[in-house]
Amino acid sequence: MNADFITVLWKEWKEIILERSAGGAGSLLSWSNASGWSRPLILIAVLGIFVPFKMPPERFFSATQLLLPTFLSAFVITAVIADSFAGERERHTLETLLASRLSDRSILFGKIAASMAYGWLMSIACIVVGTITVNVVNWRGEILMYHDAASWLIIALGPPLMGGLIATVGVLVSLHAATVRQAQQTLAVGFMVLVFGGIFGSNMLPAEWKIWFGKILVTWTPAVLILAAGGVILAIDLVLLGAGMARFQRARLVLD
Amino acid sequence: MAELAIRAQGLTRTFGAVRALDDLTVDVPAGSVFGFLGPNGAGKTTTIRLLLGLIEPTSGSAQVLGFDTRTQGDQIRARSGALLEHSGLYERLSAEDNLRFYGRVAHMPKAELEQRIQELLTHLGLWDRRKDTVVKWSRGMKQKLAIARPLLHRPGLVFLDEPTAGLDPVAAASLRDDLAALASHQGATIFLTTHNMAEAEKLCNLVAVIRQGKLLAVGSPAELRSRGGGQRTEIAGRGFSDAMLATLRQQAEVSQASVDNGRLILVLKDGASAAPLVTLIVREGGEVQEVRSGQGSLEDVFLTLMDEEHK
Repeated sequence: MNADFITVLWKEWKEIILERSAGGAGSLLSWSNASGWSRPLILIAVLGIFVPFKMPPERFFSATQLLLPTFLSAFVITAVIADSFAGERERHTLETLLASRLSDRSILFGKIAASMAYGWLMSIACIVVGTITVNVVNWRGEILMYHDAASWLIIALGPPLMGGLIATVGVLVSLHAATVRQAQQTLAVGFMVLVFGGIFGSNMLPAEWKIWFGKILVTWTPAVLILAAGGVILAIDLVLLGAGMARFQRARLVLD
Repeated sequence: MAELAIRAQGLTRTFGAVRALDDLTVDVPAGSVFGFLGPNGAGKTTTIRLLLGLIEPTSGSAQVLGFDTRTQGDQIRARSGALLEHSGLYERLSAEDNLRFYGRVAHMPKAELEQRIQELLTHLGLWDRRKDTVVKWSRGMKQKLAIARPLLHRPGLVFLDEPTAGLDPVAAASLRDDLAALASHQGATIFLTTHNMAEAEKLCNLVAVIRQGKLLAVGSPAELRSRGGGQRTEIAGRGFSDAMLATLRQQAEVSQASVDNGRLILVLKDGASAAPLVTLIVREGGEVQEVRSGQGSLEDVFLTLMDEEHK
Protein backbone atom coordinates (compact mmCIF):
# COMPACT_ATOMS: atom_id res chain seq x y z
CA MET A 1 0.00 0.00 0.00
CA ASN A 2 2.73 2.48 1.01
CA ALA A 3 4.91 1.78 -2.02
CA ASP A 4 1.89 2.05 -4.33
CA PHE A 5 0.80 5.28 -2.66
CA ILE A 6 4.27 6.76 -3.18
CA THR A 7 4.23 5.58 -6.80
CA VAL A 8 0.91 7.32 -7.52
CA LEU A 9 2.15 10.43 -5.70
CA TRP A 10 5.32 10.38 -7.84
CA LYS A 11 3.34 10.12 -11.05
CA GLU A 12 0.88 12.84 -10.03
CA TRP A 13 3.72 15.20 -9.12
CA LYS A 14 5.46 14.56 -12.40
CA GLU A 15 2.24 15.37 -14.21
CA ILE A 16 1.62 18.52 -12.16
CA ILE A 17 5.17 19.75 -12.69
CA LEU A 18 5.02 18.92 -16.38
CA GLU A 19 2.14 21.34 -16.72
CA ARG A 20 -0.70 18.86 -16.71
CA SER A 21 -3.31 21.58 -16.69
CA ALA A 22 -1.59 23.89 -19.16
CA GLY A 23 -3.72 24.67 -22.16
CA GLY A 24 -6.69 22.90 -20.67
CA ALA A 25 -10.29 23.89 -21.02
CA GLY A 26 -11.45 27.28 -19.84
CA SER A 27 -12.64 27.75 -16.33
CA LEU A 28 -14.13 30.29 -14.04
CA LEU A 29 -10.85 30.19 -12.14
CA SER A 30 -8.50 32.62 -13.82
CA TRP A 31 -5.38 30.60 -12.99
CA SER A 32 -6.83 27.16 -13.65
CA ASN A 33 -5.36 27.23 -17.11
CA ALA A 34 -1.96 28.42 -15.99
CA SER A 35 0.80 25.83 -16.13
CA GLY A 36 2.22 23.78 -13.28
CA TRP A 37 5.11 26.22 -13.05
CA SER A 38 3.45 29.56 -13.76
CA ARG A 39 0.60 29.05 -11.29
CA PRO A 40 2.87 28.96 -8.19
CA LEU A 41 5.04 31.73 -9.56
CA ILE A 42 2.04 34.03 -9.99
CA LEU A 43 0.79 33.24 -6.49
CA ILE A 44 4.20 33.64 -4.88
CA ALA A 45 4.80 36.93 -6.73
CA VAL A 46 1.49 38.35 -5.48
CA LEU A 47 1.31 36.92 -1.94
CA GLY A 48 5.04 36.60 -1.28
CA ILE A 49 6.33 39.86 -2.79
CA PHE A 50 3.68 42.36 -3.88
CA VAL A 51 1.34 42.22 -0.85
CA PRO A 52 4.09 42.04 1.87
CA PHE A 53 5.99 44.85 0.12
CA LYS A 54 3.09 47.22 0.75
CA MET A 55 2.17 45.95 4.21
CA PRO A 56 3.42 47.11 7.63
CA PRO A 57 5.34 44.31 9.43
CA GLU A 58 2.99 44.18 12.43
CA ARG A 59 0.07 43.52 10.09
CA PHE A 60 1.94 40.99 7.95
CA PHE A 61 3.01 38.96 11.00
CA SER A 62 -0.55 38.52 12.31
CA ALA A 63 -2.66 35.40 12.41
CA THR A 64 -5.50 36.92 10.35
CA GLN A 65 -3.11 37.88 7.55
CA LEU A 66 -1.99 34.23 7.34
CA LEU A 67 -5.49 33.21 6.35
CA LEU A 68 -4.97 34.72 2.89
CA PRO A 69 -2.15 32.43 1.66
CA THR A 70 -3.85 29.51 3.41
CA PHE A 71 -7.16 30.02 1.59
CA LEU A 72 -5.68 30.99 -1.74
CA SER A 73 -3.27 28.05 -1.80
CA ALA A 74 -6.15 25.72 -1.02
CA PHE A 75 -8.15 27.40 -3.77
CA VAL A 76 -5.32 26.76 -6.23
CA ILE A 77 -5.63 23.05 -5.47
CA THR A 78 -8.94 23.08 -7.35
CA ALA A 79 -7.01 23.43 -10.62
CA VAL A 80 -5.04 20.23 -10.08
CA ILE A 81 -7.57 18.12 -8.19
CA ALA A 82 -10.22 18.71 -10.88
CA ASP A 83 -7.84 16.96 -13.25
CA SER A 84 -7.28 13.96 -10.98
CA PHE A 85 -9.92 11.57 -12.33
CA ALA A 86 -11.76 13.67 -14.92
CA GLY A 87 -8.43 14.34 -16.66
CA GLU A 88 -7.49 10.65 -16.68
CA ARG A 89 -10.95 9.88 -18.06
CA GLU A 90 -10.71 12.61 -20.70
CA ARG A 91 -7.23 11.50 -21.82
CA HIS A 92 -8.22 7.80 -21.78
CA THR A 93 -5.65 6.76 -19.17
CA LEU A 94 -8.08 5.91 -16.39
CA GLU A 95 -9.02 2.41 -17.48
CA THR A 96 -5.37 1.40 -17.88
CA LEU A 97 -4.67 2.74 -14.40
CA LEU A 98 -7.63 0.79 -13.02
CA ALA A 99 -6.48 -2.35 -14.83
CA SER A 100 -3.18 -2.23 -12.93
CA ARG A 101 -2.41 -3.88 -9.62
CA LEU A 102 -2.83 -0.57 -7.74
CA SER A 103 -5.33 -0.72 -4.92
CA ASP A 104 -8.30 1.65 -4.80
CA ARG A 105 -6.87 3.38 -1.75
CA SER A 106 -3.41 3.93 -3.18
CA ILE A 107 -4.89 5.57 -6.28
CA LEU A 108 -7.33 7.73 -4.32
CA PHE A 109 -4.96 8.71 -1.49
CA GLY A 110 -2.06 9.27 -3.90
CA LYS A 111 -4.07 11.74 -5.94
CA ILE A 112 -5.43 13.56 -2.89
CA ALA A 113 -2.00 13.71 -1.24
CA ALA A 114 -0.34 15.07 -4.39
CA SER A 115 -2.85 17.93 -4.61
CA MET A 116 -2.63 18.67 -0.90
CA ALA A 117 1.16 18.73 -1.05
CA TYR A 118 0.99 21.11 -4.01
CA GLY A 119 -1.19 23.58 -2.09
CA TRP A 120 0.79 23.14 1.11
CA LEU A 121 4.11 23.84 -0.59
CA MET A 122 2.65 26.90 -2.27
CA SER A 123 1.33 28.37 0.96
CA ILE A 124 4.65 27.70 2.74
CA ALA A 125 6.51 29.26 -0.18
CA CYS A 126 4.28 32.35 -0.02
CA ILE A 127 4.81 32.68 3.73
CA VAL A 128 8.61 32.19 3.51
CA VAL A 129 9.04 34.58 0.56
CA GLY A 130 6.69 37.07 2.25
CA THR A 131 8.73 36.91 5.46
CA ILE A 132 11.94 37.54 3.50
CA THR A 133 10.31 40.43 1.61
CA VAL A 134 9.05 42.11 4.80
CA ASN A 135 12.46 41.70 6.45
CA VAL A 136 14.30 43.12 3.44
CA VAL A 137 11.96 46.11 3.16
CA ASN A 138 11.88 46.81 6.90
CA TRP A 139 15.37 45.73 7.93
CA ARG A 140 16.32 47.15 11.31
CA GLY A 141 19.13 44.82 12.28
CA GLU A 142 16.95 41.99 13.59
CA ILE A 143 14.85 39.32 11.94
CA LEU A 144 11.11 39.92 12.10
CA MET A 145 9.03 36.78 12.57
CA TYR A 146 5.62 35.44 13.62
CA HIS A 147 5.50 35.63 17.39
CA ASP A 148 2.16 34.27 18.58
CA ALA A 149 0.92 30.70 18.98
CA ALA A 150 -2.15 31.34 16.80
CA SER A 151 0.05 32.22 13.81
CA TRP A 152 2.18 29.13 14.16
CA LEU A 153 -0.93 26.98 14.54
CA ILE A 154 -2.33 28.41 11.29
CA ILE A 155 0.98 27.80 9.52
CA ALA A 156 1.07 24.21 10.78
CA LEU A 157 -2.61 23.25 10.48
CA GLY A 158 -4.16 25.61 7.95
CA PRO A 159 -2.67 24.40 4.65
CA PRO A 160 -3.09 20.65 5.26
CA LEU A 161 -6.61 20.94 6.69
CA MET A 162 -7.92 23.46 4.12
CA GLY A 163 -6.02 21.66 1.38
CA GLY A 164 -7.54 18.40 2.55
CA LEU A 165 -11.01 19.94 2.43
CA ILE A 166 -10.58 21.21 -1.14
CA ALA A 167 -8.81 18.04 -2.28
CA THR A 168 -11.48 15.69 -0.92
CA VAL A 169 -14.33 17.78 -2.32
CA GLY A 170 -12.39 18.08 -5.57
CA VAL A 171 -11.77 14.37 -5.89
CA LEU A 172 -15.47 13.66 -5.35
CA VAL A 173 -16.37 16.13 -8.09
CA SER A 174 -13.64 14.82 -10.39
CA LEU A 175 -14.82 11.22 -9.91
CA HIS A 176 -18.27 12.26 -11.17
CA ALA A 177 -17.23 14.71 -13.90
CA ALA A 178 -16.96 13.71 -17.55
CA THR A 179 -14.35 16.36 -18.34
CA VAL A 180 -11.80 18.51 -16.53
CA ARG A 181 -13.71 21.61 -17.58
CA GLN A 182 -16.90 20.31 -16.01
CA ALA A 183 -15.04 19.46 -12.79
CA GLN A 184 -13.37 22.88 -12.64
CA GLN A 185 -16.64 24.71 -13.22
CA THR A 186 -18.47 22.64 -10.62
CA LEU A 187 -15.74 23.34 -8.08
CA ALA A 188 -15.65 27.06 -8.88
CA VAL A 189 -19.41 27.40 -8.54
CA GLY A 190 -19.37 25.31 -5.35
CA PHE A 191 -16.62 27.47 -3.91
CA MET A 192 -18.56 30.67 -4.64
CA VAL A 193 -21.75 29.22 -3.19
CA LEU A 194 -19.81 28.28 -0.05
CA VAL A 195 -18.25 31.74 0.34
CA PHE A 196 -21.38 33.79 -0.41
CA GLY A 197 -23.59 31.28 1.38
CA GLY A 198 -21.36 31.64 4.44
CA ILE A 199 -21.53 35.42 4.34
CA PHE A 200 -25.30 35.63 3.85
CA GLY A 201 -25.98 32.60 6.04
CA SER A 202 -24.13 34.11 8.99
CA ASN A 203 -26.30 37.23 8.73
CA MET A 204 -29.44 35.13 8.82
CA LEU A 205 -28.50 33.18 11.95
CA PRO A 206 -30.88 33.53 14.93
CA ALA A 207 -29.85 36.26 17.38
CA GLU A 208 -29.11 33.80 20.21
CA TRP A 209 -26.71 31.87 17.93
CA LYS A 210 -24.91 35.08 17.04
CA ILE A 211 -24.57 35.92 20.72
CA TRP A 212 -23.25 32.41 21.41
CA PHE A 213 -20.64 32.75 18.64
CA GLY A 214 -19.78 36.24 19.83
CA LYS A 215 -19.12 34.91 23.35
CA ILE A 216 -16.88 32.22 21.94
CA LEU A 217 -14.89 34.76 19.96
CA VAL A 218 -14.47 36.95 23.02
CA THR A 219 -13.79 34.28 25.62
CA TRP A 220 -11.68 31.75 23.70
CA THR A 221 -8.06 32.55 22.93
CA PRO A 222 -7.11 32.72 19.22
CA ALA A 223 -5.09 29.52 19.56
CA VAL A 224 -8.04 27.62 21.03
CA LEU A 225 -10.33 29.02 18.35
CA ILE A 226 -7.95 27.82 15.64
CA LEU A 227 -7.70 24.38 17.23
CA ALA A 228 -11.50 24.13 17.41
CA ALA A 229 -11.92 25.25 13.79
CA GLY A 230 -9.19 22.81 12.81
CA GLY A 231 -11.05 20.01 14.57
CA VAL A 232 -14.26 20.82 12.69
CA ILE A 233 -12.45 20.96 9.32
CA LEU A 234 -10.63 17.70 10.10
CA ALA A 235 -13.98 16.01 10.81
CA ILE A 236 -15.38 17.30 7.50
CA ASP A 237 -12.19 16.14 5.70
CA LEU A 238 -12.63 12.63 7.09
CA VAL A 239 -16.31 12.46 6.15
CA LEU A 240 -15.50 13.59 2.59
CA LEU A 241 -12.61 11.13 2.37
CA GLY A 242 -15.01 8.36 3.38
CA ALA A 243 -17.44 9.51 0.69
CA GLY A 244 -14.63 9.46 -1.88
CA MET A 245 -13.68 5.92 -0.88
CA ALA A 246 -17.30 4.83 -1.19
CA ARG A 247 -17.61 6.45 -4.62
CA PHE A 248 -14.40 4.89 -5.90
CA GLN A 249 -15.68 1.72 -7.56
CA ARG A 250 -13.67 0.31 -10.45
CA ALA A 251 -16.67 -1.03 -12.35
CA ARG A 252 -18.48 2.30 -12.17
CA LEU A 253 -15.39 4.24 -13.18
CA VAL A 254 -14.70 1.91 -16.11
CA LEU A 255 -18.24 2.12 -17.41
CA ASP A 256 -18.84 5.84 -16.75
CA MET B 1 -5.05 -31.66 -20.03
CA ALA B 2 -2.91 -28.60 -20.77
CA GLU B 3 -2.68 -25.98 -18.03
CA LEU B 4 -5.22 -23.24 -18.60
CA ALA B 5 -4.52 -19.52 -18.35
CA ILE B 6 -8.21 -18.67 -18.76
CA ARG B 7 -11.35 -20.73 -18.24
CA ALA B 8 -14.68 -19.01 -18.85
CA GLN B 9 -17.92 -20.86 -18.24
CA GLY B 10 -21.23 -19.40 -19.35
CA LEU B 11 -19.84 -15.89 -18.95
CA THR B 12 -22.62 -13.39 -19.58
CA ARG B 13 -22.81 -9.64 -19.19
CA THR B 14 -25.78 -7.45 -19.93
CA PHE B 15 -26.05 -3.66 -19.96
CA GLY B 16 -29.75 -2.92 -19.57
CA ALA B 17 -31.45 -4.70 -22.45
CA VAL B 18 -28.19 -5.23 -24.34
CA ARG B 19 -26.48 -8.60 -24.00
CA ALA B 20 -22.85 -7.60 -24.52
CA LEU B 21 -21.56 -11.10 -23.82
CA ASP B 22 -23.78 -14.14 -24.09
CA ASP B 23 -22.87 -17.43 -22.41
CA LEU B 24 -19.19 -17.45 -23.34
CA THR B 25 -17.51 -20.76 -22.60
CA VAL B 26 -13.89 -20.97 -23.66
CA ASP B 27 -10.55 -22.34 -22.46
CA VAL B 28 -7.26 -20.62 -23.22
CA PRO B 29 -4.20 -22.85 -22.70
CA ALA B 30 -1.22 -21.31 -20.91
CA GLY B 31 1.52 -20.14 -23.27
CA SER B 32 -0.77 -19.75 -26.27
CA VAL B 33 -1.44 -16.68 -28.38
CA PHE B 34 -5.22 -16.61 -28.37
CA GLY B 35 -7.00 -14.47 -30.93
CA PHE B 36 -10.46 -13.21 -30.09
CA LEU B 37 -11.97 -12.14 -33.39
CA GLY B 38 -15.09 -10.19 -33.95
CA PRO B 39 -16.50 -7.09 -35.59
CA ASN B 40 -16.88 -3.81 -33.69
CA GLY B 41 -19.36 -4.15 -30.83
CA ALA B 42 -19.00 -7.95 -30.71
CA GLY B 43 -18.16 -7.97 -27.00
CA LYS B 44 -14.39 -8.24 -27.17
CA THR B 45 -13.61 -5.30 -24.86
CA THR B 46 -16.33 -6.37 -22.43
CA THR B 47 -14.71 -9.82 -22.29
CA ILE B 48 -11.33 -8.33 -21.39
CA ARG B 49 -12.90 -6.14 -18.72
CA LEU B 50 -14.62 -9.19 -17.26
CA LEU B 51 -11.46 -11.29 -17.34
CA LEU B 52 -9.49 -8.55 -15.59
CA GLY B 53 -12.14 -8.36 -12.88
CA LEU B 54 -12.87 -4.73 -13.72
CA ILE B 55 -16.58 -5.46 -14.10
CA GLU B 56 -18.65 -8.34 -12.78
CA PRO B 57 -20.45 -10.82 -14.97
CA THR B 58 -24.25 -10.89 -14.87
CA SER B 59 -24.00 -14.69 -14.78
CA GLY B 60 -21.41 -17.38 -15.33
CA SER B 61 -17.86 -17.39 -14.05
CA ALA B 62 -14.26 -17.20 -15.15
CA GLN B 63 -10.93 -18.19 -13.70
CA VAL B 64 -7.88 -16.34 -14.90
CA LEU B 65 -4.46 -17.74 -13.90
CA GLY B 66 -6.42 -19.78 -11.37
CA PHE B 67 -8.12 -16.77 -9.77
CA ASP B 68 -11.83 -16.03 -9.76
CA THR B 69 -12.62 -12.83 -11.64
CA ARG B 70 -15.45 -11.90 -9.28
CA THR B 71 -13.50 -12.06 -6.05
CA GLN B 72 -9.81 -12.04 -6.96
CA GLY B 73 -9.55 -9.33 -9.58
CA ASP B 74 -6.63 -7.73 -7.74
CA GLN B 75 -4.64 -10.99 -7.97
CA ILE B 76 -5.36 -11.23 -11.69
CA ARG B 77 -4.38 -7.63 -12.34
CA ALA B 78 -1.16 -8.11 -10.36
CA ARG B 79 -0.15 -11.05 -12.56
CA SER B 80 -1.21 -9.78 -15.95
CA GLY B 81 -0.60 -6.85 -18.27
CA ALA B 82 -3.19 -5.11 -20.39
CA LEU B 83 -3.27 -2.85 -23.38
CA LEU B 84 -6.89 -1.79 -23.51
CA GLU B 85 -8.97 0.06 -26.07
CA HIS B 86 -6.82 3.20 -25.65
CA SER B 87 -3.06 3.31 -25.29
CA GLY B 88 -3.32 4.58 -21.71
CA LEU B 89 -0.09 6.55 -22.03
CA TYR B 90 0.54 9.72 -20.04
CA GLU B 91 1.38 12.03 -22.89
CA ARG B 92 3.00 14.73 -20.76
CA LEU B 93 5.43 12.21 -19.31
CA SER B 94 8.45 10.91 -21.16
CA ALA B 95 8.44 7.43 -22.64
CA GLU B 96 10.77 6.12 -19.96
CA ASP B 97 8.71 7.73 -17.19
CA ASN B 98 5.58 6.06 -18.54
CA LEU B 99 7.32 2.70 -18.31
CA ARG B 100 8.98 3.61 -15.01
CA PHE B 101 5.57 4.37 -13.49
CA TYR B 102 4.06 1.05 -14.49
CA GLY B 103 7.26 -0.78 -13.51
CA ARG B 104 7.02 0.75 -10.05
CA VAL B 105 3.34 -0.19 -9.95
CA ALA B 106 4.44 -3.79 -10.65
CA HIS B 107 6.99 -3.55 -7.80
CA MET B 108 9.96 -4.23 -10.08
CA PRO B 109 13.36 -3.70 -8.43
CA LYS B 110 14.91 -0.45 -9.69
CA ALA B 111 17.94 -1.97 -11.43
CA GLU B 112 15.84 -4.63 -13.14
CA LEU B 113 13.28 -2.02 -14.19
CA GLU B 114 15.88 0.25 -15.79
CA GLN B 115 17.44 -2.70 -17.59
CA ARG B 116 14.05 -3.88 -18.83
CA ILE B 117 13.10 -0.39 -20.05
CA GLN B 118 16.32 -0.26 -22.05
CA GLU B 119 15.75 -3.76 -23.42
CA LEU B 120 12.18 -3.09 -24.56
CA LEU B 121 12.75 0.40 -25.94
CA THR B 122 15.85 -0.77 -27.81
CA HIS B 123 13.97 -3.74 -29.24
CA LEU B 124 11.16 -1.47 -30.42
CA GLY B 125 13.55 1.13 -31.83
CA LEU B 126 12.48 3.80 -29.34
CA TRP B 127 15.52 4.03 -27.07
CA ASP B 128 16.94 7.18 -28.64
CA ARG B 129 13.64 9.00 -28.07
CA ARG B 130 13.10 7.77 -24.52
CA LYS B 131 13.34 11.22 -22.93
CA ASP B 132 10.81 12.82 -25.28
CA THR B 133 7.37 13.53 -23.90
CA VAL B 134 5.03 11.06 -25.54
CA VAL B 135 2.82 13.83 -26.89
CA LYS B 136 5.50 14.55 -29.52
CA TRP B 137 5.49 11.01 -30.87
CA SER B 138 3.75 9.57 -33.92
CA ARG B 139 0.78 7.28 -33.43
CA GLY B 140 2.83 4.23 -34.41
CA MET B 141 5.54 5.04 -31.88
CA LYS B 142 2.95 5.58 -29.16
CA GLN B 143 1.34 2.25 -29.94
CA LYS B 144 4.71 0.49 -29.73
CA LEU B 145 5.27 2.06 -26.34
CA ALA B 146 1.76 1.09 -25.29
CA ILE B 147 2.56 -2.53 -26.16
CA ALA B 148 5.84 -2.38 -24.24
CA ARG B 149 4.00 -1.26 -21.12
CA PRO B 150 2.02 -4.45 -20.36
CA LEU B 151 5.05 -6.61 -21.25
CA LEU B 152 7.36 -4.66 -18.93
CA HIS B 153 7.07 -6.81 -15.82
CA ARG B 154 7.01 -10.08 -17.78
CA PRO B 155 3.49 -11.06 -16.73
CA GLY B 156 2.17 -14.57 -17.29
CA LEU B 157 -0.79 -13.23 -19.22
CA VAL B 158 -1.08 -10.22 -21.51
CA PHE B 159 -4.34 -8.77 -22.83
CA LEU B 160 -4.01 -6.78 -26.03
CA ASP B 161 -7.18 -5.09 -27.25
CA GLU B 162 -6.82 -4.38 -30.97
CA PRO B 163 -3.14 -3.41 -30.73
CA THR B 164 -2.80 -2.36 -34.37
CA ALA B 165 -6.12 -0.52 -34.69
CA GLY B 166 -5.82 2.84 -36.39
CA LEU B 167 -2.26 2.32 -37.62
CA ASP B 168 -1.24 2.60 -41.24
CA PRO B 169 -0.43 -0.75 -42.93
CA VAL B 170 3.33 -0.32 -42.68
CA ALA B 171 3.25 0.61 -39.00
CA ALA B 172 0.77 -2.21 -38.31
CA ALA B 173 2.97 -4.79 -40.08
CA SER B 174 6.03 -3.59 -38.19
CA LEU B 175 4.15 -3.74 -34.91
CA ARG B 176 2.93 -7.27 -35.70
CA ASP B 177 6.52 -8.36 -36.29
CA ASP B 178 7.56 -6.84 -32.99
CA LEU B 179 4.63 -8.47 -31.24
CA ALA B 180 5.40 -11.88 -32.73
CA ALA B 181 9.04 -11.59 -31.66
CA LEU B 182 8.14 -10.41 -28.17
CA ALA B 183 5.50 -13.13 -27.77
CA SER B 184 7.87 -15.93 -28.72
CA HIS B 185 10.70 -14.43 -26.66
CA GLN B 186 8.54 -13.87 -23.60
CA GLY B 187 6.59 -17.12 -23.59
CA ALA B 188 3.53 -15.56 -21.97
CA THR B 189 -0.10 -16.28 -22.74
CA ILE B 190 -1.41 -13.55 -25.01
CA PHE B 191 -5.12 -12.79 -25.29
CA LEU B 192 -5.42 -10.68 -28.42
CA THR B 193 -8.61 -9.13 -29.70
CA THR B 194 -8.72 -7.96 -33.27
CA HIS B 195 -10.86 -7.69 -36.33
CA ASN B 196 -7.79 -7.98 -38.53
CA MET B 197 -7.69 -11.55 -39.84
CA ALA B 198 -4.15 -11.27 -41.22
CA GLU B 199 -3.01 -10.29 -37.77
CA ALA B 200 -4.76 -13.25 -36.18
CA GLU B 201 -3.39 -15.62 -38.81
CA LYS B 202 0.14 -14.37 -38.30
CA LEU B 203 0.20 -14.25 -34.53
CA CYS B 204 -2.32 -16.70 -33.08
CA ASN B 205 -2.16 -20.42 -32.55
CA LEU B 206 -5.76 -20.49 -31.32
CA VAL B 207 -8.64 -18.26 -32.36
CA ALA B 208 -12.24 -17.74 -31.34
CA VAL B 209 -14.83 -15.89 -33.38
CA ILE B 210 -17.46 -13.83 -31.59
CA ARG B 211 -20.40 -11.84 -32.85
CA GLN B 212 -22.99 -9.92 -30.83
CA GLY B 213 -21.61 -11.49 -27.67
CA LYS B 214 -21.97 -15.07 -28.92
CA LEU B 215 -19.08 -17.42 -29.54
CA LEU B 216 -19.38 -18.77 -33.09
CA ALA B 217 -16.28 -20.93 -33.42
CA VAL B 218 -13.01 -21.75 -31.71
CA GLY B 219 -9.91 -23.63 -32.88
CA SER B 220 -6.53 -23.19 -34.49
CA PRO B 221 -6.48 -21.07 -37.66
CA ALA B 222 -5.82 -24.24 -39.71
CA GLU B 223 -8.72 -26.07 -38.03
CA LEU B 224 -11.09 -23.19 -38.67
CA ARG B 225 -10.00 -22.87 -42.27
CA SER B 226 -10.60 -26.55 -42.91
CA ARG B 227 -13.80 -26.59 -40.89
CA GLY B 228 -15.56 -23.57 -42.19
CA GLY B 229 -13.51 -21.84 -44.82
CA GLY B 230 -14.10 -24.37 -47.54
CA GLN B 231 -12.56 -23.78 -50.90
CA ARG B 232 -11.82 -20.31 -52.20
CA THR B 233 -12.25 -19.75 -55.92
CA GLU B 234 -11.11 -16.55 -57.51
CA ILE B 235 -12.39 -15.77 -61.00
CA ALA B 236 -10.89 -13.07 -63.22
CA GLY B 237 -13.12 -11.76 -65.94
CA ARG B 238 -15.91 -9.26 -66.64
CA GLY B 239 -19.64 -8.77 -66.26
CA PHE B 240 -20.01 -9.81 -62.64
CA SER B 241 -23.29 -8.04 -61.95
CA ASP B 242 -25.23 -7.74 -58.69
CA ALA B 243 -27.91 -10.00 -60.14
CA MET B 244 -25.28 -12.62 -60.88
CA LEU B 245 -23.94 -12.37 -57.33
CA ALA B 246 -27.46 -12.84 -55.99
CA THR B 247 -27.93 -15.93 -58.18
CA LEU B 248 -24.60 -17.38 -57.05
CA ARG B 249 -25.42 -16.81 -53.39
CA GLN B 250 -28.56 -18.87 -53.84
CA GLN B 251 -26.55 -21.90 -54.95
CA ALA B 252 -26.32 -24.61 -52.28
CA GLU B 253 -22.56 -25.11 -52.73
CA VAL B 254 -21.73 -21.37 -52.30
CA SER B 255 -20.97 -20.02 -48.83
CA GLN B 256 -19.99 -16.58 -50.01
CA ALA B 257 -19.87 -14.60 -53.20
CA SER B 258 -18.35 -11.15 -53.57
CA VAL B 259 -16.44 -8.98 -56.02
CA ASP B 260 -13.07 -7.64 -54.95
CA ASN B 261 -10.99 -5.47 -57.30
CA GLY B 262 -12.95 -6.73 -60.30
CA ARG B 263 -12.40 -10.35 -59.33
CA LEU B 264 -15.24 -12.62 -58.34
CA ILE B 265 -14.47 -14.37 -55.06
CA LEU B 266 -16.44 -17.51 -54.24
CA VAL B 267 -16.10 -19.49 -51.04
CA LEU B 268 -17.45 -22.98 -51.67
CA LYS B 269 -18.60 -25.52 -49.16
CA ASP B 270 -16.33 -28.54 -48.58
CA GLY B 271 -16.31 -30.94 -51.51
CA ALA B 272 -18.10 -28.56 -53.88
CA SER B 273 -16.83 -28.13 -57.42
CA ALA B 274 -16.34 -24.76 -59.14
CA ALA B 275 -17.02 -26.11 -62.67
CA PRO B 276 -20.86 -25.92 -62.61
CA LEU B 277 -20.63 -22.43 -61.18
CA VAL B 278 -18.32 -21.27 -63.97
CA THR B 279 -20.91 -22.60 -66.44
CA LEU B 280 -23.61 -20.69 -64.57
CA ILE B 281 -21.56 -17.47 -64.66
CA VAL B 282 -21.06 -17.75 -68.44
CA ARG B 283 -24.76 -18.53 -68.91
CA GLU B 284 -25.64 -15.40 -66.91
CA GLY B 285 -23.54 -13.25 -69.26
CA GLY B 286 -20.21 -13.17 -67.43
CA GLU B 287 -16.87 -13.52 -69.17
CA VAL B 288 -14.38 -15.83 -67.48
CA GLN B 289 -10.70 -15.34 -68.22
CA GLU B 290 -9.03 -17.22 -65.37
CA VAL B 291 -10.15 -19.50 -62.52
CA ARG B 292 -7.98 -20.11 -59.46
CA SER B 293 -8.93 -22.40 -56.59
CA GLY B 294 -7.30 -22.81 -53.17
CA GLN B 295 -7.87 -23.19 -49.44
CA GLY B 296 -10.06 -20.48 -47.91
CA SER B 297 -8.34 -17.94 -45.65
CA LEU B 298 -9.22 -17.17 -42.07
CA GLU B 299 -10.95 -14.08 -43.38
CA ASP B 300 -13.17 -16.29 -45.54
CA VAL B 301 -14.00 -18.40 -42.48
CA PHE B 302 -14.77 -15.28 -40.52
CA LEU B 303 -17.00 -13.81 -43.21
CA THR B 304 -18.77 -17.13 -43.67
CA LEU B 305 -19.44 -17.35 -39.94
CA MET B 306 -20.70 -13.77 -39.86
CA ASP B 307 -22.90 -14.50 -42.85
CA GLU B 308 -24.32 -17.72 -41.38
CA GLU B 309 -25.04 -16.04 -38.06
CA HIS B 310 -26.71 -13.16 -39.88
CA LYS B 311 -28.95 -15.57 -41.84
